[in-house]
This record gives sequence, structure tokens and C-alpha cells, in this order.
Amino acid sequence: MKRYGEHRFAGKLFVVEGIDGSGKSTQLMLLHQWLQAEGYGTVFSEWNSSPLVRDITKRGKKKHMLTPATFCLIHATDFADRMEHNIIPLLKAGAVVLCDRYIYTAFARDVARGMDSKWVRELYGFAVKPTGAFYFRVPLEVAMRRLLDARDGFKFYEAGMDLGLSGDPEVSFRLFQSHIIDEYEKMVPEYDITGVDATLPIEAQQAQMRQLVKTKLAQAKRLRVAP
Amino acid sequence: MRETYGVVLPGMNLTDLTGRLIVIEGTDGVGRTTQINLLKPWLEQQGRAVLVTGMTRSSLAGKGIKQAKEGHTLGRVTLSLFYSTDFADRLENEIVPALRAGFVVLTDRYTYSLMARALVRGIDPAWIRNAYSFALKPDVVFYLRIGVDDLIPRVVFSRGFDYWESGMDLHPSEDMYESFRKYQTDLLKQFDVLAEEYRFEVIDASTDVRAIFDLLRDGVSRVLTAEPLFAASKPQAAEEAAPETAPQLAEASPTASSASEAPPQAPETPAAPQPTPRAAEAHRASAAEEKPGAKVLVNAAEGEPST
Repeated sequence: MKRYGEHRFAGKLFVVEGIDGSGKSTQLMLLHQWLQAEGYGTVFSEWNSSPLVRDITKRGKKKHMLTPATFCLIHATDFADRMEHNIIPLLKAGAVVLCDRYIYTAFARDVARGMDSKWVRELYGFAVKPTGAFYFRVPLEVAMRRLLDARDGFKFYEAGMDLGLSGDPEVSFRLFQSHIIDEYEKMVPEYDITGVDATLPIEAQQAQMRQLVKTKLAQAKRLRVAP
Repeated sequence: MRETYGVVLPGMNLTDLTGRLIVIEGTDGVGRTTQINLLKPWLEQQGRAVLVTGMTRSSLAGKGIKQAKEGHTLGRVTLSLFYSTDFADRLENEIVPALRAGFVVLTDRYTYSLMARALVRGIDPAWIRNAYSFALKPDVVFYLRIGVDDLIPRVVFSRGFDYWESGMDLHPSEDMYESFRKYQTDLLKQFDVLAEEYRFEVIDASTDVRAIFDLLRDGVSRVLTAEPLFAASKPQAAEEAAPETAPQLAEASPTASSASEAPPQAPETPAAPQPTPRAAEAHRASAAEEKPGAKVLVNAAEGEPST
């Protein structure tokens, strides 16, 4: 499997993936705490964080201007900016970089929107291969319950409302996210992603993550930064 | 049925795009816009509806690209994808609807310019071809070709050197002249390669505006009176449209479809034969072989391949 380059930078890159409500962000936060306590220079890099493209993406979403193609490309642009200006420099500097969502998110949702799967993978060929990737596997019902506990409803694009699957946001969300889950499951073997059972107790999931991360941090720099 | 250079975007119906897609390509300051401003009224006088479009004019991303370029903060991969977003938006919202309505679409640059700029900046050729492979194949590409020695006086005595047109992001130098010269020389080299690969109709742009217009006008007339390169509907169209309706299921690359569908061309229309998708595929494959693991374009910060 050689879809993208294996980097030889001093730093390490760990990413978490899964649908909203899978608990991946909580797990990444806990991992961050632990890595810092262990003395590693650890940095978060967030999806959609580039100030440059963020405004356009926001406007496009707000006005529902985005088609599957432009949704895909504007997010790829944002990701490229983050890769070129944030992730790669940090990896060169020897940081342990943590990403909440990575290219697999793009592959899953763009393919679910009808983009060609091979084409999207090539499009992201500039991305560096993560040191470790985790997929938090959760039944759709569980994720939806968690989500609806935390907020009022589903967002337009998150529910795939742009695809016209259903006029009912909940029905649309279910259909669209099921497709996304199918795409994730295909990627687990394809990219050697570590699947985590996201219905287990939080601490059990975290223990599994830390165990794997530990084995990959052998030569990483401990910067001894103040916690 | 129209064709693309590879993938077909979701929901894009390529049948009955009866208008003509005419591309005017050429480097910065060569006079593309001047020519388009002459071609449009001339076509309209003959009763043809014309849509003029060009890079960074999309309602989605056009303004953003301009703002970003003012700040000079974009990386090369980012810039390529930003342009691709802009292009996709215009393709879906302007170009395809106009072609369906039977317009003559005159486009001031196309994906070729974007490729040339990216290639000069060290982007992986196979990657950039893929990124723009959803583009429709045009009916004709007129390439306004000029040498750097003829180009320089035009730029100096009209608008002066521009940061990006001088490739200042590549050759940081106090001297815009040296930078412009080197950058444009490299760019013209890339254009020549693309001209060959995509069968541009080359027009000598070192002469005066009127002479160039005469050549363009003849070329456009010929394209408009010739049989359409992409015939309206054919029996096999339904078959080819199949992957479009369910692209998420298409395992096979859509490039493989409809290889040599274009009707045989009269010898006097050299712009007609497009590289077959199969050839493009082979090209892509060989490019990938030459550089193992070079899906990775450039190592963003240093420009070295990070294999």
C-alpha cells in the first residue's frame, strides 16, 4: 500500500477518526494530557482550522452553495493549507502532532457524496502517512443519542441534506452517516487503521490507545516542556 | 456526448451539451483578454450567444483566491486545490449550463494554465492531472504563443511586473525583471509540453492584435461550422452514463470509458484529436513508476520530494 508518502520527519502523527458522537475527541484529549505529562512536545491540529479557507467554507456552507465536488475541493484546499503550514513544519520540529479527523474523514464523506473513490485518494496524495490512526467504531443509534443529548439537531451538510436523500434531517442523517460508516469500515484494512470499540468504558479505550502509541514513540523526542 | 479527462463529477450529465467550449490559453500579458473582447462581439453579431469566463471568477472561491494571493501566504498544493475549487464551481454553475443552453463558451485560460503554473512549482505531474481530471474536454484550445523576449516589453509598458506573474514565490529576488524572465521562460517551456500533449492550436502571438484576431476568427469559424467534436446523443451514451448515476459504486476508473469515441477529424482541424483517456492513464502510470512514492508532491516547506 503506497497511496501516500511515509514521512521521515522527526515528529509523530496520531489521528482519530469516527462519526460525530463516537467519542474520538474525548479520547484524543485524554491522550494529549498523557503525552504532555510524559514530557512530549504535543500539539493539536484541528480540521477546518485554516483561517485562509475557513471563511469561504463557512460562507459556502451557510448559503448551501456547495456541491459534492466543491465541498470536497474546498475541504481539500483547507487541509492542504494545514498540511503545508502547520502539520509538516511541526513534524519537522519533532512534535507529536494530534489530529481530530484526517484524510479518512474526507475519503468517507466525499465518497458517500458520490465522488470517485480512487480520485479522492489521489487528490490527498500530498498528505503524510500518520504514525498511528484510530477508528472509533460506534453503532449509529448510540452516536445519534449522544449527539442529540448535546445539541438540538443535525447540521445541514453533516446530515447530507445537500444530497436530497430525505427532507427529514434525522432520516437523512441516518442514511448518510450509515454510508460514511461503510466507507470507514473499508478503510480500516486498506490503511491499517486501529479499530477501537467505542462502546467500551472510556478508560478501557484510552488504555488501548496509550498502549499502541507507546510502542510508536520509541525514538520521539521528549522536550521536557512544562506541563 | 461530452467527455472529461477522467472522472465525472456527481450529478453532472454530459449528454446534450450542444454548445461549444473554446479555450484561449497563453501566458500572463500575452493578450488573451484583448482577443476575447474582440471575439465576443464578433460572435454575437453572427447571432451566437456567448459566455465569457476565466480563472478565479467563481462566486464561491474567486474572491478568496485574490485575497489570499495579496497576502502571498498560499502553499503550492493549497493554491492548486484552491484553483481547482474555483474551477469546479464555474464548471458546474456556469460552463455546463451554458453548454446545455447551446452557448459558445469562451474561456480565458483553462486547466492547462493551472497545470503549467503548478508544474513550474515542482508539483507531481500525475497528481496535478488527476486533480483537474474532472474538466470537460474543450472543442478547441487556441494557444497564444510568445517568446519571453517579445513578452517582456509588453508587460513592462502596460501594467508592469506582478508578484505572481514573476514567480516571486519561487525565485525570491530583489530584481523583478530577472525573476520574471526566469519564471516565464520556465512557464513557456511547460506550455509547449502541454501544447503537444493536448493538441493546442498554436497561434503566433508576437504579431499585432489585428493579425492575431484574424487567425483566431478563422479558427473559431472553422470549429463552429465543423461537425461537433462531441456529438449530441449516441446509442452508447446511455451505457456510458451509467457510472455517473452511481459513481460511488464505480470501482473501475471512469477514464477507461469511451476511449476513441471522437469521430475522425478532417485533416485541417489539428485541434481535434484529444489524447485518449487510455493514453493519459498510461502516462499517469509511467509517471508514477518513474518516481516511486512520489504521490507526494513536494515536501511543502523545502520543495524536496519527501518519499
